Amino acid sequence: MRLARVIWAFGRAALLDETAYRGELLGNVIRSALGIAMAIGGLAVVFAHTRVLGGWTMEQVLVLLGVYYLVNGLVSTVLSPSLNKVVQEVREGTFDYMLLKPAPSLLLASTRRFVVWHVSDVVLGAAVIWVGLARLEANVTLAGAAVFAAAMTAGVAIVYAIWLALTTLVFWFVRVENITMIFNLFFETGRYPVEVYPFWLRQLLTFVFPVAFITTVPAQTITGREPLVVLWAAPLIAAAALLAAVRFWRFGLRNYTSASS
Amino acid sequence: MPPDIRVHGLVKHYVVPERGAGLRASLRSVWRRRRRLVRAVDGISFEVAPGEIVGFLGPNGAGKTTSLKVLSGLLHPTHGRVDVLGFTPWDRRADFLARITLIMGQRQQLFWDLPAGDSFQVNKAVFGIDDAVFRRTVGLLTELLELDGLLTKPVRQLSLGERMKVELAAGLLHGPRVLFLDEPTIGLDVTMQQRIRAFVARYNAETGATVLLTSHYMADVKALAQRVIVIDRGRLLYDGALHGLAERYAPHKTITVHLEQPVDPAELRGLGEIVSQEGAQVTVRTRKDEAPAVTGQLLARLPVADLSVEDPPLEEVIEQVFRGNRT
Repeated sequence: MRLARVIWAFGRAALLDETAYRGELLGNVIRSALGIAMAIGGLAVVFAHTRVLGGWTMEQVLVLLGVYYLVNGLVSTVLSPSLNKVVQEVREGTFDYMLLKPAPSLLLASTRRFVVWHVSDVVLGAAVIWVGLARLEANVTLAGAAVFAAAMTAGVAIVYAIWLALTTLVFWFVRVENITMIFNLFFETGRYPVEVYPFWLRQLLTFVFPVAFITTVPAQTITGREPLVVLWAAPLIAAAALLAAVRFWRFGLRNYTSASS
Repeated sequence: MPPDIRVHGLVKHYVVPERGAGLRASLRSVWRRRRRLVRAVDGISFEVAPGEIVGFLGPNGAGKTTSLKVLSGLLHPTHGRVDVLGFTPWDRRADFLARITLIMGQRQQLFWDLPAGDSFQVNKAVFGIDDAVFRRTVGLLTELLELDGLLTKPVRQLSLGERMKVELAAGLLHGPRVLFLDEPTIGLDVTMQQRIRAFVARYNAETGATVLLTSHYMADVKALAQRVIVIDRGRLLYDGALHGLAERYAPHKTITVHLEQPVDPAELRGLGEIVSQEGAQVTVRTRKDEAPAVTGQLLARLPVADLSVEDPPLEEVIEQVFRGNRT
């Protein structure tokens, strides 16, 4: 209850802070709409030459694309603004004030900023999923939806763990803006099912940098595809990734040297 | 009453990468990094009683800020025991953090684009301050710091001095019992410095809060602290009464006389060390215990129009302390 109030207080301030840049709303809606339109156009080109891509039909890939945009929207709405703020604050030395607050520092560090305009990606992503499912004429049961939601949750948890681990590097290297680039490089591969990639990359994207669990696995649960890996692996991997990332963060904090005056 | 702050054998060493200037050195450091051990704090011990104001003095890089950061729980020490209000700071327990504050003159916690009032709301939620207490505290701080009209303006529009006042208020909303103030008056003009000083003194008197203060301005220390702790290169050089510092390190007095007319330097012989003689003004430095005798002789031998006897300025004393440590 108290925690909810704290998050709300930060959220409110972040919202007020953002309203200074109202013009960004329109820009972002246009940007996400164009981005999705171009991605769908790209799919149309690919599927003009083939009926299946790595065993996936166009409609199934469309659902996957929707998942990609939805997750991407969540990342750019909350996760990346908050964690980039950590990076900035550590460099400027104001992260000290974060640590001086009697509240769970990790939770606040991960949620305290949000760029509300990027919600447009979430909404459009959901819309694309819906269109894909409609064209598939998929019969989504309540149980099916629940499995999908669980797989999505696991995917988001994995994204969070990766972001957090990359952010934690700031305690040693201080300048880590490039982590956004590294992350995006891998995350971009999530626009397509991992089956389209060569064997070695597929292994990398499944077991090392588990993008497969972020888009491919949730999409396959709801489009009725054969599971890529046993489904129950998703929550296990998500839990393991989260645990590892949180421990790494705690370890990083111990090494925090705070910018000197 | 047990002390609020107990520090025993505090050591904080950092390993920092080191590289020479220039392109070649930079490139070399990319794959072969040299590291250097910095002994920021090298074994200091002290205690601070509840309600005490202690000035923490030292040149740049002496280890003051590092010590304050360990005491407020931001840094884990390399060795040593620290106890603040019965807590180990770096455990960063919520009930510890709710009882202390660290205010840094060079760092800001307020949202830059928002009025300070909005940042206050965030702190209110984070510290779980209830409405009535919050209103009372903001009222009190507004009165003491003259914040009227400042809380509704975006922080970026405030002057440096106004911003510092608002920062102070933000750091005190939760009514901390122990205040760590790191250069709270840095960069401010003299009037604003005085105001901040007066505020800290009054806050201490009214709330009984314990204050550990660092400052480059001796006036801050003189106005606020009865007791000073002097550190240099991570080591403690002096811990005791402010006036005792002068007695120990600069046991002399400066006597300045204005004469009715200039005199021959020969007439001043035997009157201690002549620091300067410009026209009718003569400045003499003498050992403290000889000051009365020298004053007497000056009055007896010279046509004195005006005379003053002063302790050496604190800046000079401190300088003496550091010089002693470094030679």
